[in-house]
Amino acid sequence: MRVRLNPAFLFLIPALTLILVFYVVPLILSVYIGFTPLQRWNLNRMGSITAYNFERLFYMMFHDPDFGKVIRTTIVFTAFTLAINVLGGLGLGLALYLMDEVLSLPYRILWLLPRMTPVAVYSLLWYYFFLGGEEGTLNSILLRLGVINEPLSWGTDPRLLPETAWVILILVNGFVGVSFGMIVFYSAFHSIPREQVVAARVDGATTSQIVRHVLIPQVRWHIVYVTVWQLLSLLTTFAHIFLLVEWGAVHRWWGSTWALYVFNVAFKTYEQGLAAAAATVLVIIGAILGLVALRILKFKEMMVEPKGEI
Amino acid sequence: MQDSRSRASVKSLLKREIGKIRGRLKPPAYRGVWDVETIDRRRLNLLLALVLGLAGLPVFMLYVLLVMSSFANTMLSGPDIFSARYSIENWRMLFEGRLSPAAGQQYTTRDIIMIIVNTLVVALGVTAVVLVVSVMAGYAISRMRFRGRTRLMELMILLHAFPGVALIIAVYAIYVWTLGFIPTENTFAYKSYMMVYTVFARAALEIPMSIWLMKGFFDKIPWEVEWSALVDGASRFKVWREIIIPLVKPGISALAIFAFLAGWEDLIYVHVFLYPEIKTLATFIEEVVGSIETTYLPVVAAAGTLYLLPTILFFVLTQQLLLQALSGGVKA
Amino acid sequence: MVEVRLEKVTKKFGRVIAVNKVDLVFEDGKFTVLLGPSGSGKSTLLYLVAGIYRPTSGKIFFDDKDVTNLPPRERNVGLVFQNYALYPHMTVYDNIAFPLRLRKEPPEKIDSKVHEVAKLLRIEELLDRFPSQLSGGQQQRVALARALVKEPSVLLLDEPLSNLDALLRLTIRAELKKLQQKLGITAIHVTHDQAEAMSMADKIAVIDQGTLQQVGTPEEVYLKPRNLFVATFIGNPPANTLTGSVQTVDGTVFVEVGSARYQLTEEVSKIVREAGVEKLVVAFRPEHAKIVESPLVDPEGDLVLEGDVYVVEPLGRENIVTLIVAGMPIKVVTPPDVKPHSSSKVYIVVPRNRVMLFDVETGLNIEFLIREIHQKIPD
Repeated sequence: MRVRLNPAFLFLIPALTLILVFYVVPLILSVYIGFTPLQRWNLNRMGSITAYNFERLFYMMFHDPDFGKVIRTTIVFTAFTLAINVLGGLGLGLALYLMDEVLSLPYRILWLLPRMTPVAVYSLLWYYFFLGGEEGTLNSILLRLGVINEPLSWGTDPRLLPETAWVILILVNGFVGVSFGMIVFYSAFHSIPREQVVAARVDGATTSQIVRHVLIPQVRWHIVYVTVWQLLSLLTTFAHIFLLVEWGAVHRWWGSTWALYVFNVAFKTYEQGLAAAAATVLVIIGAILGLVALRILKFKEMMVEPKGEI
Repeated sequence: MQDSRSRASVKSLLKREIGKIRGRLKPPAYRGVWDVETIDRRRLNLLLALVLGLAGLPVFMLYVLLVMSSFANTMLSGPDIFSARYSIENWRMLFEGRLSPAAGQQYTTRDIIMIIVNTLVVALGVTAVVLVVSVMAGYAISRMRFRGRTRLMELMILLHAFPGVALIIAVYAIYVWTLGFIPTENTFAYKSYMMVYTVFARAALEIPMSIWLMKGFFDKIPWEVEWSALVDGASRFKVWREIIIPLVKPGISALAIFAFLAGWEDLIYVHVFLYPEIKTLATFIEEVVGSIETTYLPVVAAAGTLYLLPTILFFVLTQQLLLQALSGGVKA
Repeated sequence: MVEVRLEKVTKKFGRVIAVNKVDLVFEDGKFTVLLGPSGSGKSTLLYLVAGIYRPTSGKIFFDDKDVTNLPPRERNVGLVFQNYALYPHMTVYDNIAFPLRLRKEPPEKIDSKVHEVAKLLRIEELLDRFPSQLSGGQQQRVALARALVKEPSVLLLDEPLSNLDALLRLTIRAELKKLQQKLGITAIHVTHDQAEAMSMADKIAVIDQGTLQQVGTPEEVYLKPRNLFVATFIGNPPANTLTGSVQTVDGTVFVEVGSARYQLTEEVSKIVREAGVEKLVVAFRPEHAKIVESPLVDPEGDLVLEGDVYVVEPLGRENIVTLIVAGMPIKVVTPPDVKPHSSSKVYIVVPRNRVMLFDVETGLNIEFLIREIHQKIPD
């Protein structure tokens, strides 16, 4: 008797292999490492199981002032950037939709630029903008305007912390994140039959009435979707913050979010056990938000059954 | 009957089908009403253009200043763009490996070339892996029936939601473990393995979304095309190669661009897995800016501009395609 | 209610001329249908009246008021789109109330008006539902209610029936016509369906390639089409056309079609002679022709053609017989009992007063040509 292999499986082998090796195994492994005293990548230490990392993490939350700063930064950064990304994205998408098509094109390019720029270059732009010393763009402008008398180290000056560091983080990530909402909302608005807008016009609606009564109510689900997805991404991504901290543009603790903290503990202070434990918290949040996002996408509707199997 | 039909006629028939479908796949030009013409839109347009322009201007200026500084004798910050002296000196210094006028040669020209080559290798590697994997999987998920199909797609979305930072610790642990089997004395094998592992790890990050995108492109092809070909006696593989793939070419090129840019711009993976043995433009800039004593920013600006070039180039050339594909992930 | 008047209205989109110098009056309280094939500019014309488009040149009047540059809100028009353009996030009630709320009318007044119009259109029990829960016909009524609730001076309908299935279309077109008569509202209805136009219109304006072809009652456009386009666009099956050459024998002028000769009247002969016309299109409607087995001695001078039966399509109530005359397919509608054999030779007789003649070059009906010449050169 021959076992007949579903040909679909052949097409899926590469994808399944990659997913297994780089998602499933690491995910389990990562949680497991959280329960081991792994340090300095000494894999021999992975044999013993301990809850010490979690105890330590819990203790740090309340007693380690630096870790406290990280937590506060994470909360403030996530809340404000999220607001900018969702509301700004909605505003941008709406404005671009309302503008004449020809006019909106260059703006769409401009606002997508930060997203498409290599992280290192984008960080460089802002690093240089907020650079302490007279060289920095912001300092040089403010000095010339007479707003300040001496150049300031915006992200690290103790007199300005923590607010300036937070503003820098929020600004840098806001310009990147806002384009996600822009794209989603822009295409969502465009999928509304244009006749509805014209019908409202014929009935006497002004632009702002059309926006409030016809357009915004129809993208409610998109707003929820963008919020969930951006929340997830803000909690877990750190690439844009990474270089700013590394280059000393922002304060080490007031400029670090939870995700960056995890990364630095794993790859700078080499306490992989602790890092994995902290990452596990993110994994749990990610799982919850991911499931929520799935429900919002009305997933089943998108999975059209294949028709012709021969 | 099947045999009497010549192969050529089958092929021409298929070609005609493809032509028809291509015509259908093209987005129809909008023939409806855009907005009411009797209402003056100039004020609205002007207002919106002004607000968006002003809000985006700071960032745009940063780009302009960076590109201009790469040709200037000082880092520009506004009005001084008129007083600065411009030359290609910074670019020359960059390719000579001198990172400031005062310092000597810290890198050789070969080093710099290798850095660019390494960046390209990572980017092209990621592109190749992403394309092969997601075109195959996207087709299977869109067109073939198997158990757990919906589950698999749900898993893809969920995986995409998982924090990369949690993964990278374990992915690195596996890396450390597997590197132990490679003989250290064979530098070429060692470095090749580093590169290959990095490429696959980075590509994996793009896989869920790419498969999702690719599935969307396959979904758009009408079933009739495949049926008519299968009825005409073509094998499933032949159908795939000669009909389906040509039809999703626009999708594949969009995906290729995405994957390339993802690999090209990557910082975290090349930092973790390749630095300092193998440098790319990202880690090169990271290193140069990070070492305070040698930082001469105009040369860094040249490096940054060089790094930015393909992104902008791709972006301007394929703007429309990108917007389409970017919005493809969300249901309208 | 108002009379809508277009004066030399032209609308260009870039280089494309969508509407070309149209002079047209939509009479007060009448149901006017804009009829034309797709891309003829009929919807553009409707949108011009609505104020959605601004004419490139020309003027639009509502009674004596020049509304050419006024936005739709100041024209008080009700518009029903082909896809109805209902707001999916609002209930039927809110959809209908929307125009009134925009006018900031008091809630009690809105409520009573909504119920009034809902009663008129018999959709009262649907008020709490959302558009996605309605059938196509119900959606169409809601759209109509939304257009009527603001008591517009003109009701504009952009192919409102084309998204409905064939049976429903027949019912609704009768109801729509009845409703318009009851309200006495000026209505402009756009369609590409000539049967729909014939059945509903007080007046039909036929449009093609942005140019007005003919304006008249359904009977006029049917019996006296101004040109070949109207003749072949209206009627199902459309009018038959045959090109024939003009011959003069012993001072009498004929058109020769295949083997048949058709004698022209004195008036037509004069024109043909003076203008040196060599060819004419002879046209007649399939339902005006008769099929006979043998040629009769024909004292009336009717058109008699010899043809070979090609195919007979029985439709129950009638048969459509396709014949080949002088190499051209010709359709004739016959009673159901007339079933000539395929390939048999038969004769087609068209009464003299049903034969239409058109100029080959301009496509103009000769009768209209005569009338126009009389107007220009009164003798």
